[in-house]
Amino acid sequence: MTVKSKRIPALQGGKSIKPGGIYWMRYVIPALLFYVIFMAYPMLDSIRLSLYEGTAGTREFVGFANYVRLFTDEVVSKRFWNAFGNNWIFFAYHMILQNALGILFAAILTNRTMRGRKFYQTLIFIPCTVAVLVTGYLFKIMMNPQWSKAPLESVGLGFLVHSPLGWLGDHGTALSAVSLVSVWQWVGIPTMMFVAAFQSIDDDLLEAASIEGASPWQQFIRIRVPLIIPVIGMVAILTFVANFNAFDVVFAMETPEGAPDYATDLIGTLFYRYGVAGQHPVGIPEPGLGSAISTTIFAMLLCGVIPVLVKTQGKE
Amino acid sequence: MKKLLAIVLALTLLALPTLVLADGELTLGSWRTEDGEAVGALLAKYEELTGVKIVYQPTVSTQYNATLRQQLDGGIGPDLFYSRTYSGGAELCENGFNVYCEEIPGVKENFTATALEGFTDKDGHVFAVPFAAVSHFVYYNKQIFADNGIEVPKTFEEFLAACDKLKAAGITPLANGIAGNWDILECVLCSMVPNYITAEERVAYETGEKKLNDEVWLKIFEDFAKLVPYLPETYASIDEEQADMMFTLGQAAMVIDGSWSYSAVSDGVDVGFFSFPAPEGYAAGFSLHPDFGIAGNAASAHPEEVKAFLTWLASPEGAKIAAEVIPAGFLPLINADVAPEGSIISAMNAEGEGKNADRRFVWNMLALYDTYVSELNAIVRGEQTPAGAADAVNAAWEAELAKK
Amino acid sequence: MTVKKAAGEKKTRSLRIMNMHIPYHIVMILWSFISIFPLFFLVINTFKVKKEIYINFFGLPQKWTLENYTSLMGNSDFFGYFRNSFLVVVVSLFMILFVGSLCAYALAHWHTKTSRGVYYFFVIGMMLPIKIATIRLLQIMKALNTLNTLFCLFPVYIAMGLPTAIFILTEFIHGLPRELYEAGYMDGASRFRIWYRIVIPLIRPALATVAIYNLVPIWNDLWFPLIFITKESSKTVLLAVTRLQGQYTTDWPKLLTVLTLSSLPVIALYLAMSQSFIKGLTAGAVKG
Repeated sequence: MTVKSKRIPALQGGKSIKPGGIYWMRYVIPALLFYVIFMAYPMLDSIRLSLYEGTAGTREFVGFANYVRLFTDEVVSKRFWNAFGNNWIFFAYHMILQNALGILFAAILTNRTMRGRKFYQTLIFIPCTVAVLVTGYLFKIMMNPQWSKAPLESVGLGFLVHSPLGWLGDHGTALSAVSLVSVWQWVGIPTMMFVAAFQSIDDDLLEAASIEGASPWQQFIRIRVPLIIPVIGMVAILTFVANFNAFDVVFAMETPEGAPDYATDLIGTLFYRYGVAGQHPVGIPEPGLGSAISTTIFAMLLCGVIPVLVKTQGKE
Repeated sequence: MKKLLAIVLALTLLALPTLVLADGELTLGSWRTEDGEAVGALLAKYEELTGVKIVYQPTVSTQYNATLRQQLDGGIGPDLFYSRTYSGGAELCENGFNVYCEEIPGVKENFTATALEGFTDKDGHVFAVPFAAVSHFVYYNKQIFADNGIEVPKTFEEFLAACDKLKAAGITPLANGIAGNWDILECVLCSMVPNYITAEERVAYETGEKKLNDEVWLKIFEDFAKLVPYLPETYASIDEEQADMMFTLGQAAMVIDGSWSYSAVSDGVDVGFFSFPAPEGYAAGFSLHPDFGIAGNAASAHPEEVKAFLTWLASPEGAKIAAEVIPAGFLPLINADVAPEGSIISAMNAEGEGKNADRRFVWNMLALYDTYVSELNAIVRGEQTPAGAADAVNAAWEAELAKK
Repeated sequence: MTVKKAAGEKKTRSLRIMNMHIPYHIVMILWSFISIFPLFFLVINTFKVKKEIYINFFGLPQKWTLENYTSLMGNSDFFGYFRNSFLVVVVSLFMILFVGSLCAYALAHWHTKTSRGVYYFFVIGMMLPIKIATIRLLQIMKALNTLNTLFCLFPVYIAMGLPTAIFILTEFIHGLPRELYEAGYMDGASRFRIWYRIVIPLIRPALATVAIYNLVPIWNDLWFPLIFITKESSKTVLLAVTRLQGQYTTDWPKLLTVLTLSSLPVIALYLAMSQSFIKGLTAGAVKG
């Protein structure tokens, strides 16, 4: 401590070593304002909705009846658990394939001496910028043997076609097909995050290691990966949350019911049918039940996310 | 930093012009984005006659129900809106969003009881002015029929024979598939049912008097199963849009679709249509299903203009003008002869002459919709027998009735 | 260490580095191909009429049709839609980064139970789909009289983007070494100055990450514009495009064309923001 520091007044909030909570609050207030008014309050209000039944004019308080119905009604609970299970499979594809590829590409793309990194990274990102409606439509046609069988067979790629049912029409393959398309599209996002993470690793560490004779592979496994565990945890959480809200890709490639026969039904589409649009063709939603679904999933997400957060973050 | 703030401020200011709102115009909400021109013409005519300007604001069909509901809930709904029929539209009325149309002059007089039935809620209020009905037809490619010496079939047996002939010639007879999850029920099965069950008999099924797995229904499912060999082998991936595409590309000779698809299936094809033929000895039926009406928003800022427009629509003069611009395939519901001479609409109406007209069978039993679709899908995939399907449907309905 | 040994080490190391890159390139080229080929089909299909998209999906157009593009260019409304989407995205992203990084800075340095609570309060916001809040939001926007303008979209997207922004940024700021602030304190700078002069440049990669992460969902969002906006001049691109989707038939050629063009601004914004990665790199190289 030099003489200079002793001249810093202790109560000069911004300039003191440990400013009090009051000082920090002004940094936090703008964010809190936006968040509370436009997100927290409306969301809490709709959690409250889960205790009601009916729509606008006919709402009545029913306590936990919606939750009971969610878990005990024959049809509703069947759909819920089906969608729940499907979503875990969907998540598995993303965690195991998308995020692993993200780490792989990020590791490759953070080699200082490699040429064309920016080019590759942009190419990987471009699918993310195309609307899901479009990519869903394109793959829907590509996966329909009616349109793709003849052209692909003529170039010897006939094995790519799952004839005659098509990848999207076959119960067993539909969910995998939709998941793979989603993975294909979104790889660019975790790649970008892991690139940022790898780049923030101090070069000194790696230089020291390579001087000691560590091979690039050893550097990778022993130094780079462990140092980005917080980011891996973060990406895992973001993927988990995004997957359990996923809806567009199924909507674009199949139907909101998760055709064929609910094989591709996810929590997002289930929520859409009950909470937003109602079942075809009637179109009468049940916002109370929809809220119950969201709240249940929210609770489940909390149980999954908090442990991961605690384990991987907060390391100083 | 300051520069950045300045840029953002400038951009935000650029957004300001959008703050200016227009008023004095009425809005008409709808899910028929395709009909922009047609309805625009109708509203322009109305403006000529009355000076009231109504703007057509369609919302993409798949989001229409959700959007409309959110807007009505939030108090910002359009002044007029397209209303679904039966329970889909009734529910909005029960929530107090609709203008009661039984008080609109002309509504009770100019529409038949069956037409009004689709627009009456359980308290007896008419929640919309009936506008158009749809039907379902078997569209066929006249060229392919001519090339293969096939005549328009008059009975179900002739229909199957024609399919056989086409299949033998290497042509896919029917373009329908199951990927859409709705057209197999609404367009295919429900267009067959009026051939076997009349409107009066239908009520007996709804009340549980007759069982949904009796001999009549067994025959219906069996006849449906007879269609399966004539579907394309890629049926699992074909939805309505792709079926129509197959048909217009000449990859199939026929497609069973709704009357609304007329313009889609006639694209580049010399197309004819006939209503689904009944088996030998059965009375021919005709599928006629009220599709939409136009409702008034009870909370509109312009209640008088709303009522005036609805009155105009319910009058023969208004309906006649509407019929001129309505797209082909939508059949006016008004009990007056308004279809232009020689139009597709009159040709479609002619198909229905002398037949037992009825709406889609399942519409009063919508709890069964899902079950029907799964069973039909299973039959097409070869995973279910007609008898098994009938039993499953019956069991589901009995469970549903037991709940009440 | 003799000079010879040092030179030898350097040589083998540089050889090794050069050799490593070929497999990397192979992997990246393979994946780039997988990434791009469906988009190649997207682009060539915008030059076809609807029927040809189905009958000749994979091939080059037998009959090149420029009509999709010309009708779009001729429609002056579309420039307005692009402008609206652009405005919504840029303003929302800026506010998310500004407000979010201020908050993250505070949360990273203020070590009390309260701040931990605030942090978790934000984080749990990531887990609920904001769609369920629509009715309330609609009422709020109506009360603020912002419906049918772009101002009803900004707050929603800012609120939507803050949880992930705070989640990511707090973590990154946590990871910054203490010594970098000491210099600031020594000079008597206020916390705010430290934030502005030191922290922000250092967390540029994280800022870019947050911006890019939110860029696509905001640009492609259909739900809120659908509910809040019915006035033509305020529509965003994705909302305007839904007009091409009919109940039973969709004008796919035009739709594909618009959405292809729609990804160009997004790619441009991405490139602009990812430049920050490079800048952040060199900033991080500052050592004690």
